[in-house]
Amino acid sequence: MLYLIGLGLADEKDITVKGLEIVKNAARVYLEAYTAILLVDKEKLEAFYGRPVTIADREMVESSSDDILADASNVDVAFLVVGDPFSATTHSDLVLRARELSIPVRSIPNASILTAIGATGLQLYNFGQTVSMVFFLENWKPSSFYDRIKENVSIGLHTLVLLDIKVKEQSLENMARGRKIYEPPRFMTVAQCAVQMLETEEERKEGVYGKDSLAVGVARIGAEDQKIVVGTLEQLAESDLGPPLHSLVLLGRRTHDLEREFLKEFAVGKETFDSVWKRDYEGKQ
Amino acid sequence: MVNFTVEEIRGLMDQAANIRNMSVIAHVDHGKSTLTDSLVQRAGIISSAKAGEQRFTDTRPDEQERGVTIKSTAISLYASLTDPEDMKDIPLKVEKNDFLINLIDSPGHVDFSSEVTAALRVTDGALVVVDTVEGVCVQTETVLRQALGERIKPVVIINKVDRALLELQVSKEDLYQNFSRVIESVNVVIATYYDKVLGDVQVYPDKGTIAFGSGLHGWAFTVRQFASRYAKKFGVDKNKMMSRLWGDNFFNPKTKKWTKTAEGGGERAFNQFVLDPIFRIFGAVMNFKKDEIPKLLEKLEIKLTNDEKDLEGKQLLKAIMRKFLPAADALLEMMILHLPSPVTAQKYRMETLYEGPHDDENAIGIRDCDPKGPLMLYVSKMVPTSDKGRFYAFGRVFSGTVRSGLKVRIQGPNYTPGKKEDLFVKAVQRTILMMGRYVEPIEDVPAGNILGLVGIDQFLLKSGTLTTSETAHNLKVMKFSVSPVVQRSVEVKNANDLPKLVEGLKRLSKSDPCVLTFISDSGEHVVAGAGELHLEICLKDLEEDHAGVPLRFSDPVVQYRETVGAKSSITALSKSPNKHNRLYMIAEPLAEEVCKEIEQGKIGPRDDFKVRARILADEYGWDVTDARKIWCFGPDTNGANLLVDQTKAVQYLNEIKDSVVSGFQWATKEGPVAEEPMRAIRFNVMDVTLHADAIHRGGGQIIPTSRRVLYAAALLAEPGLLEPVFLVEIQVPEQAMGGIYGVLTRRRGHVFEEAQRPGTPLFNIKAYLPVNESFGFNADLRSNTSGQAFPQSVFDHWQLLPGGSPLDPSTMPGKVVHDMRKRKGIKPEVPGVENYYDKL
Repeated sequence: MLYLIGLGLADEKDITVKGLEIVKNAARVYLEAYTAILLVDKEKLEAFYGRPVTIADREMVESSSDDILADASNVDVAFLVVGDPFSATTHSDLVLRARELSIPVRSIPNASILTAIGATGLQLYNFGQTVSMVFFLENWKPSSFYDRIKENVSIGLHTLVLLDIKVKEQSLENMARGRKIYEPPRFMTVAQCAVQMLETEEERKEGVYGKDSLAVGVARIGAEDQKIVVGTLEQLAESDLGPPLHSLVLLGRRTHDLEREFLKEFAVGKETFDSVWKRDYEGKQ
Repeated sequence: MVNFTVEEIRGLMDQAANIRNMSVIAHVDHGKSTLTDSLVQRAGIISSAKAGEQRFTDTRPDEQERGVTIKSTAISLYASLTDPEDMKDIPLKVEKNDFLINLIDSPGHVDFSSEVTAALRVTDGALVVVDTVEGVCVQTETVLRQALGERIKPVVIINKVDRALLELQVSKEDLYQNFSRVIESVNVVIATYYDKVLGDVQVYPDKGTIAFGSGLHGWAFTVRQFASRYAKKFGVDKNKMMSRLWGDNFFNPKTKKWTKTAEGGGERAFNQFVLDPIFRIFGAVMNFKKDEIPKLLEKLEIKLTNDEKDLEGKQLLKAIMRKFLPAADALLEMMILHLPSPVTAQKYRMETLYEGPHDDENAIGIRDCDPKGPLMLYVSKMVPTSDKGRFYAFGRVFSGTVRSGLKVRIQGPNYTPGKKEDLFVKAVQRTILMMGRYVEPIEDVPAGNILGLVGIDQFLLKSGTLTTSETAHNLKVMKFSVSPVVQRSVEVKNANDLPKLVEGLKRLSKSDPCVLTFISDSGEHVVAGAGELHLEICLKDLEEDHAGVPLRFSDPVVQYRETVGAKSSITALSKSPNKHNRLYMIAEPLAEEVCKEIEQGKIGPRDDFKVRARILADEYGWDVTDARKIWCFGPDTNGANLLVDQTKAVQYLNEIKDSVVSGFQWATKEGPVAEEPMRAIRFNVMDVTLHADAIHRGGGQIIPTSRRVLYAAALLAEPGLLEPVFLVEIQVPEQAMGGIYGVLTRRRGHVFEEAQRPGTPLFNIKAYLPVNESFGFNADLRSNTSGQAFPQSVFDHWQLLPGGSPLDPSTMPGKVVHDMRKRKGIKPEVPGVENYYDKL
């Protein structure tokens, strides 16, 4: 049996009791470590589970899944996914491959950023499409997220923006030469995201959002030092939320009073927040 | 340096209309360097006694030893026109009567023609040297074609006339007929490459654009010179005289009548007035008619010194002819009158030189040859200095003024405006004048001049653009007529010397415009050159000079190209590693004519896409919509493979375009069959499905996928191997011809043209010979023709390696592939299409 087990967001203890039981009994345990990372390292997990864990990087999951699935029809294989197995990142391909090999699959859900973002006080019912923000390169600045945000904005919904992480990526040159040399890990911060969003608005000039648009930056949701900051994109571009992982929510205009009260607590500058809110958000449908 | 100083030259540099930048080009051994020497002699850098024996521009010991020019060399000469009559004939009016001539002597051997390309770029005119006896040869044609392509105006000197007179003993009329034939064949070549903007540049003796002479003996003349002589003597109009001294104009000395035919006892004016005095001198001197000589000398107003009077035979002949018709006079006059100054030339050369818009400040600076405009300087090659490992950057100022200490933008060939790649901002350490073996420091150099720069070599590999303008685009990268198709690997004999070899390879690559050095996948250091001789010289330089350590060389091997013979049998599909993205492509052959145009730089990635589409549609039958959607050229962004977008309404396509292009560059550089570069393949992107979120369709997902789908498409389209083929021109006496056919047939070559040279027992044979079969060809040919055949080989085209599919190891191409893969250290079997093709 292949088990896809959600690990939750913060540390080793976020795993569910059911998940932990499976891990303890499984023949092999893999930790998927490239679409998101846990805030603790592998050793801590191993100590807590009391058994060795194999790190599965992108290459292993995408190119040599056979190793992971080997003999899975007879023994139990646990595949640990940070967050929820089928949420922000999907491992449907692995499931399809397992199905081809007639390996039964079960998944154990857990918290995902898609739900935990509710900690900001924003109502999950009012979120639109989720988008990702990738690291811009000098000549590669994909702006399709802008169109998705535009659709969300047009009906007044919030947009959750997931931020790029590069854990074990080759540089273009190394990839072309077939060298397995990897770049140091990089994680996008809320500030970088805000800067890139404003850059794209500057480029496209369709007025989807602007410097004064309110947004919520979150870091390390679910951990003890979780951080939430509310401000305009301009303010967030200057913010520093500390170590990874970060996410950002762009506010839609369809807001609730409770949301305002909740958010005000986290505002960088309370006066700016109040005035922008009054002008652009309050009572808009 | 007797006749001029650096200060004088610097003064002249400001008078752009008084400058002539010119290269001397010819087939090997037609006498360029010797002729150049007589010019140098006139400008006074070496003593007159040695001119004709010392090859001033052959600066390297092996050049002097072999008697072959290997590197091109530049010298600045100073000359003045004293006759006010002559001044009137200069097309662009000038204030002063003194001129600065920047002359570049370039190699004639085909293997070094990349040096010629580099020389042509910085000059506006060319002195084409043609051997009277041998006539127009393969390299004459190649360099003329290159010159006209760069919009360089030619003048011609028919050289080695002394040989015709002394060895072949021809009559005057025969010599005239011989001259006409040579001139006609030169003009045929010129007419073939007619350029509307440059206008008609065919050469005619009666226009003064052709000189006749002997570089070895140091004499030459133009019809114009004789016309001036007679014009004064007989009091007739000079121009009228000129037109009569060539062609079918006959003069009857008895009746004093001019006629158009020889009937009635008239003699051809050229023979009578031009050749006769020369024949008389030759006759008198070589037949030792001592009493006739003083009379002749008096008549022709030639004064000899007492020492010279004591000479005999050829030495005396040389002394007289040199006094009578000094080569430098004829050549300098011809160059000053008929070659364009930078002011004239840059007006029409700007559009072929500059990549940016033709109306920006840089283009205007070039067009007007403006010393006050933004600096636009093209570095065409690197010249080794006496300081080992350092180079002078050699080039030409097209606009602005460059001086020591000036901060410039150094833009390499891959620079694109607005980006920071291949760009350095550095100060020029020193500016210098290059004069043969010597260099002279000079404070600054204005537009229109040729110069050397110190301190640029670290920032440019071989060539590039220097500018002070932030908006400047590049000056167009040079296209070479030869390509490095022969390669040998190099290793050190003592392992400790490896760092020296690596450094040496870097230096070698800088010092030659055409040579390629790289490390193969199996870790070998490889040097690739245009032919056996070129490679031999490069490796010699590497061993003795650049690396300075004992080396071992492998046998030469040939570079192949991978291509396709048909359209992909099915649409190739590959999925990205995360399986969320799918690319669909088809490969098909790209027409040979289009490939040639791309390789010659006539169709390129930097053209305006609409203009390019028009050309492809009108001339090569492309669909205009397809032609407008060419994503890129490859490998190296300018090769003869195309990636064409044929998708319909795919979302996010432009976000993955760069990744697909990267994969395309990668795949076309190393094809699926033997990791050789691809050629002549058009890839069509048929469809694309992508993940909705940008994170899941980044470069890491798309680049390897596009490479795989390109491989699959190529393998599904009847892959084939192209081998390079030389055009071989062989001169041989009739009785030795049989041997040539034998040698060629054994080497898979075939003769396609065979012609006798009129008036000689020599035959001229043209044949195609696969480069792979050419190793040791020269030696083989000589031994089979008792040393009577002289071959010249130049890369001509790619041809499909016959014998079946390269994927089948039992065929000949299959064996070639097998050996190649083994040599490269990859697994000998070609991976099948299933490695790249993913099922739906």
